[in-house]
Amino acid sequence: MKLAELSDFVLKSALKLGAKDVSAISTRSEHSMVRIANSSVSVVKRMLNIGLVVYLTRDRKRIVGSTSNPTPNAVRKFVSDLFKACGTLPSSRQYAPLPRGPFNYRSPSQYDSRITEHGEKLVDFAKEAVDASLKEGATRVAGALNAHDEQFFISTSGGARGSDHRTRILLNVRAFADSDASGQGLSCASRLDDFDPKEAGVTAGMLAKDAANPGVCEEGRYDLIMNSTVTGSTMNNVGSFASAFIVDAGLSFLANKLGSKVAAEILTLSDVTSSEDSIEGRVFDDEGVATGDKEIIGRGTLVGYLHNSTTAKIFKTKSTGNAGFIEPTPWNLIVEQGEYTLDEMVKEVKRGIYVTNNWYTRFQNYREGEYSTVPRDAAFIIENGEIKRPIAGIRISDTLPRLLLNIHAIGKERSWVKWWDEVATPTLCPALLIKDVPISRAAGVG
Amino acid sequence: MDEDLARFAVQYGRNLGVQYCEARFHRTKEIACILKNGLVEPAVIDDAVGLGVRVLHQGALAFSSTNVLGKANIREAVSEAVKRARAARSLLRKKIRFSKEPAARRKWSAPEKRRIENVGVEKLLAELREIDHVAVKSGGGVKIPNRFHVLSASLEEKVYVNSEGTNLHSRVPRIQYYTYLTAVHGGQTAQRFFIKGETGGWEAYARMKLEEIIKHETKILRLLLTKAVKPPTGKIDVILAPEVSGIAAHESVGHPTEADRIIGREAAQAGESYLKPENVGMKIGSDQAYLSDDPTLPNSFGFYLFDDEGVAARKRALIQAGYIKELLHNRSTAYDFGLRSNASSRAVRFDREPIVRMGNTFVEPGDHTLDELLDDVEQGIYMKSFMEWNIDDKRLNQRYTGFEAYLIEKGELKGLVKGPVLEITTPGLWGSVDARGKEMGFFAGTCGKGEPMQGCPVWMGGPDVRLRKVTIGVRQ
Repeated sequence: MKLAELSDFVLKSALKLGAKDVSAISTRSEHSMVRIANSSVSVVKRMLNIGLVVYLTRDRKRIVGSTSNPTPNAVRKFVSDLFKACGTLPSSRQYAPLPRGPFNYRSPSQYDSRITEHGEKLVDFAKEAVDASLKEGATRVAGALNAHDEQFFISTSGGARGSDHRTRILLNVRAFADSDASGQGLSCASRLDDFDPKEAGVTAGMLAKDAANPGVCEEGRYDLIMNSTVTGSTMNNVGSFASAFIVDAGLSFLANKLGSKVAAEILTLSDVTSSEDSIEGRVFDDEGVATGDKEIIGRGTLVGYLHNSTTAKIFKTKSTGNAGFIEPTPWNLIVEQGEYTLDEMVKEVKRGIYVTNNWYTRFQNYREGEYSTVPRDAAFIIENGEIKRPIAGIRISDTLPRLLLNIHAIGKERSWVKWWDEVATPTLCPALLIKDVPISRAAGVG
Repeated sequence: MDEDLARFAVQYGRNLGVQYCEARFHRTKEIACILKNGLVEPAVIDDAVGLGVRVLHQGALAFSSTNVLGKANIREAVSEAVKRARAARSLLRKKIRFSKEPAARRKWSAPEKRRIENVGVEKLLAELREIDHVAVKSGGGVKIPNRFHVLSASLEEKVYVNSEGTNLHSRVPRIQYYTYLTAVHGGQTAQRFFIKGETGGWEAYARMKLEEIIKHETKILRLLLTKAVKPPTGKIDVILAPEVSGIAAHESVGHPTEADRIIGREAAQAGESYLKPENVGMKIGSDQAYLSDDPTLPNSFGFYLFDDEGVAARKRALIQAGYIKELLHNRSTAYDFGLRSNASSRAVRFDREPIVRMGNTFVEPGDHTLDELLDDVEQGIYMKSFMEWNIDDKRLNQRYTGFEAYLIEKGELKGLVKGPVLEITTPGLWGSVDARGKEMGFFAGTCGKGEPMQGCPVWMGGPDVRLRKVTIGVRQ
């Protein structure tokens, strides 16, 4: 069956069984990957999946199912089993009917057929990145190049019926130099014309070389410049905390802050799908609502949460087109650009640190935003307006509310960031200068 | 599960002239219920089934998967793998080879008394309601307004066939629970997250004793908001209870002994290791540091008897008397080290390649009671559980922030302290161990690694472990 037939078939079958609300999303995804280690291909991959996700309700009871077996008989049984299982659940006080149309969807604009056609040629892109890193002085290079082609078709009992088709190509290059110093470079695009493996390789190689022989950094408070990658990680967390589901679960420091100042006035963070160069430009959400652009934080003030129809009911508002059947999520985050070049930011700093990547962000208390995260790859001490020397072994240990309020400057250059699991939501990011950030280190590091 | 399709894939790969071919018919079915603040969220049923194929061709490794299971699609999946392996040659500086392993033919399963297929969403939800009721009741004068519980039952079935004659069928049922609890009192909040998981049928649920645990955790939340005091800081003795010794074992010994990290295969994702290939035999801890990984532990969340390269599982001694003894290998890293695989290769779904993973990683038991460990501690911290933790990507610089932690004074446990931070290097941690308790505890986790990400079920554990004179800070 074609995707449209599959979604329509599920909708018809579930309604015939007696379901009240149905949303059926069928997908076809082709994912190609080249992984690099020690400047050599460690594995090549190609994953082809046809999938089906179904949300249905009966008597205010709700269930979500997914299956990877798309044959007609299997789908018929899957829907029937889902309907039966739904009947065994209690009614939900939070039940909200699926939104009803008519829905008008924009045409998918983040699609480039050349990305999939490049399947076997992806190795050439990877080679370009590796060679660029080595030329900059790296001694070995690792990385991953991912090419995705995803098609969706939705049919809902609310009258939604539409398709989406998008591509993306993502490259993460990690170059190593002497003393295992490392640097990362990224290139993330939905169209091949915006993809630049060589630049990602050059960035990684240069950072690795500059980071060689890192020194010790004492614990204390420093002004911190985050490059776009670290900004991406930070804003991914903020975007997740803006999900009304997370707020309702007590797992967000943004709870009870609507209309309040939650960040420095210079920060505006939005969820955007319409931008042609965005990486996850969804056309409709899982409930069939057309996605749109919206501010989460506007000039430092929390403007709104991200909603599906259920959280919208709880918070007495409207869906923002960010459903998840269970949990609303951001699609693409965009941080509004500022006025500073990186050099101008560095000049603002008397005693600070410049970090170019981070990982392993964990929270002691999500409600208060108490967290720490570990910088990785190149990091540098800044003294009296100049980047002085590489350092290693530090940890950012702060609270997100304090960090957002202490943003002092925002960069004017931005780049798309999405890599591995650390920055899962594509984010268009500038560098940030944040005042007075607590930095800790393990006893004995250095 | 269709063994014929797996055999067909392997035969087709051989016909295309590959050195090696394996096919894994892999099904993961999970049902889950969610209760948020006492209210029912949609139940979830996820059923993923498909075929994952790996080929070694002219020194290049390729993985391909499909869930469209006709012979034409399988031929296409295998052909794609071979084509891409050929294309990889332009950037293949080092050929990949596998260690020689004996062919195995077995059907194996995790012990199961009450079939997991008979567990429905209504059963899961009924248990969650009981748990939530206990959480609400146990708060005392402190409110627990936010309670997020998830309970799931899953079944993983595989048929594995390779071109060397291995043929394995497996069945692993699992039960998993996790929760986030938020307590509020006097304008302050405290939070607890924990996860429990075992392999087994529905009988595993009773073994987890969740109501007792919830009662205890809500009591601790209350005490943290009403009684806890600032911890002492500076160089003091610390006793890590099993939850904390287990996470430390997993993060700073299990991960860095994964041989694929050591040779740089995960460098751009989960990172590398403080160990180099030549470091086997190096001293990293005290004479009291003994750590192992054992996938064959009965009921364990990381249980398996054969890995996803068809190699029989066994216990691995990672550190003995402070010395690095053994690394975790798959067939590729074993070849590089001139060894046999020790069965550390796992894939979590049909569309994921098998990579080096831990099973169940733990500190070995010693011979002390808790009283004996406390006995000559003048001033210290007993860290029973943690919330925030992280570690750098070489696994050298780690941090554990206590959730339930007690002051120790003159050999006696005193009241709760709030937010003690152990931020320490790996040699610093394992080098300061001077004694281990005799009682073991294990905790479930979903370990993240690989690209695409693979969340892999594991246990982490150990006994109470005493560290002498380590630096304790406090969360600001």
